[in-house]
Amino acid sequence: MKALRQITALIRKDLRLQIGSKETLALIFVFCVLVVLIFAFAFGPIFPDKMERGKLTASVLWAAFVFAGIITLNRSFILERAHGALHGIRLTGVDAGSLYLSKVISSVIFLFLLQVVITPIALQLLDIFDVVTIEILLKLFGILIIGTFGFCSVGVLLAGISTSTTGGESLLSVLLLPLVIPIIMCGTKCTVSILITGGLEDRLWLYMLIGSSLLFFASAYLLADAVIEE
Amino acid sequence: MRLDALQITKNIGHLTIVKDVTLSINPGEVVAIFGPNGAGKTTLIKILSTLLRPTSGKLKIGNIDAIADYLQVRNTLGVIIHEQLAYPVLTPYENLKFFGQMYHVEDLETRCKTLLDEVGLNRFIHEPIHTFSRGMTQRFMIAKALLHYPSILLLDEPFSGLDASARQIVIDRIAKEQQNDRSVVITTHNIDLGYLVGTRFLFMINGELEEIAQKNEIDKETLQKLYEVRMVDTVQKRL
Repeated sequence: MKALRQITALIRKDLRLQIGSKETLALIFVFCVLVVLIFAFAFGPIFPDKMERGKLTASVLWAAFVFAGIITLNRSFILERAHGALHGIRLTGVDAGSLYLSKVISSVIFLFLLQVVITPIALQLLDIFDVVTIEILLKLFGILIIGTFGFCSVGVLLAGISTSTTGGESLLSVLLLPLVIPIIMCGTKCTVSILITGGLEDRLWLYMLIGSSLLFFASAYLLADAVIEE
Repeated sequence: MRLDALQITKNIGHLTIVKDVTLSINPGEVVAIFGPNGAGKTTLIKILSTLLRPTSGKLKIGNIDAIADYLQVRNTLGVIIHEQLAYPVLTPYENLKFFGQMYHVEDLETRCKTLLDEVGLNRFIHEPIHTFSRGMTQRFMIAKALLHYPSILLLDEPFSGLDASARQIVIDRIAKEQQNDRSVVITTHNIDLGYLVGTRFLFMINGELEEIAQKNEIDKETLQKLYEVRMVDTVQKRL
């Protein structure tokens, strides 16, 4: 019960800091819209058939969200480390597992809110919005949230390591991107399938996405103490 | 609550920052550690507060091994170090409320307002901390250190950046905590203030801690002279 209350307080604080920071919000939002616009201009204004549009949209969405995720995680940990706030939290006696869990949950919520805003814009600009029903959109968000969970599971841990070093911001991308290849690969395959067929033709990609996300989460949870305390 | 540090050493790279420090603090004691910049005072406070693991040695807080079971002792400590240990973009009230929730402080709103009033920040309750001056930030840090009624206070340079009225707040507060049988460790290079609040005095020079005297065994002038002699010795050894 005590841990649950601490996790809730940490999540509320993280969301308050992330949503309250206009610079970060503007940076991430503009970055995502720019990625979508660049692809829309490169492939538009007359887009290829539905299958190709589905593949293009899936790539654009995942590229935008992966890099937005890196910016979010970096900013989040920079705020924690800048004035010793992380030490302040450690002094409250909260265990590293709860701290890690709260960071994963708050990052997933924040990135999911971003996806809810950016996805319709991307679908519209890439001319696929007319074929996307509410059901398809919900399935799409389902895949995105699982992928984001897997991404944040490993990302939070690595952001914790990288921001404690000099030049850590660039280090996070170098460390994180090779590790999350399974998440990006499976997530993109599932997204393509949903956008083209309206469902998941081959469930193997979904199972692999869930499996790799859980594996990342479990491994990172076990390592959290070493990263936060050392 | 009692604090016992036994043969604590901290190496960072090839440097030994804290050398074989042994220190016991009883409830109701105010231990003032004097030392120049770079003597290892901050590192020692970080080790005593469990934020930094020593390279070797033992640390007991109460009856708990504070190195192995650090989670059990942390919420008994009130700490001031050179960092704010808080979020500069949040207001002092928001910060205290958040940390109070983490510590499970009862009647939190009243506690936050009382503390901010005590340190003279009630007019700035809704201003983000990053807009504060050095002294105001220090006042906030004092409030934050006291938020959860800690049994041991570890204060690294608590008078730094404070004006006369804020200094008096800290002096009064330390006296009050001592009366409540709490243990206090302060580090400072200001002999006047350290002597005023301390009940026992130690010097820390080049990472080594030297027990000097209880307050009733030494007057301020002698303490000042002794400190100056130690400082001169240190400089001569370096040359």
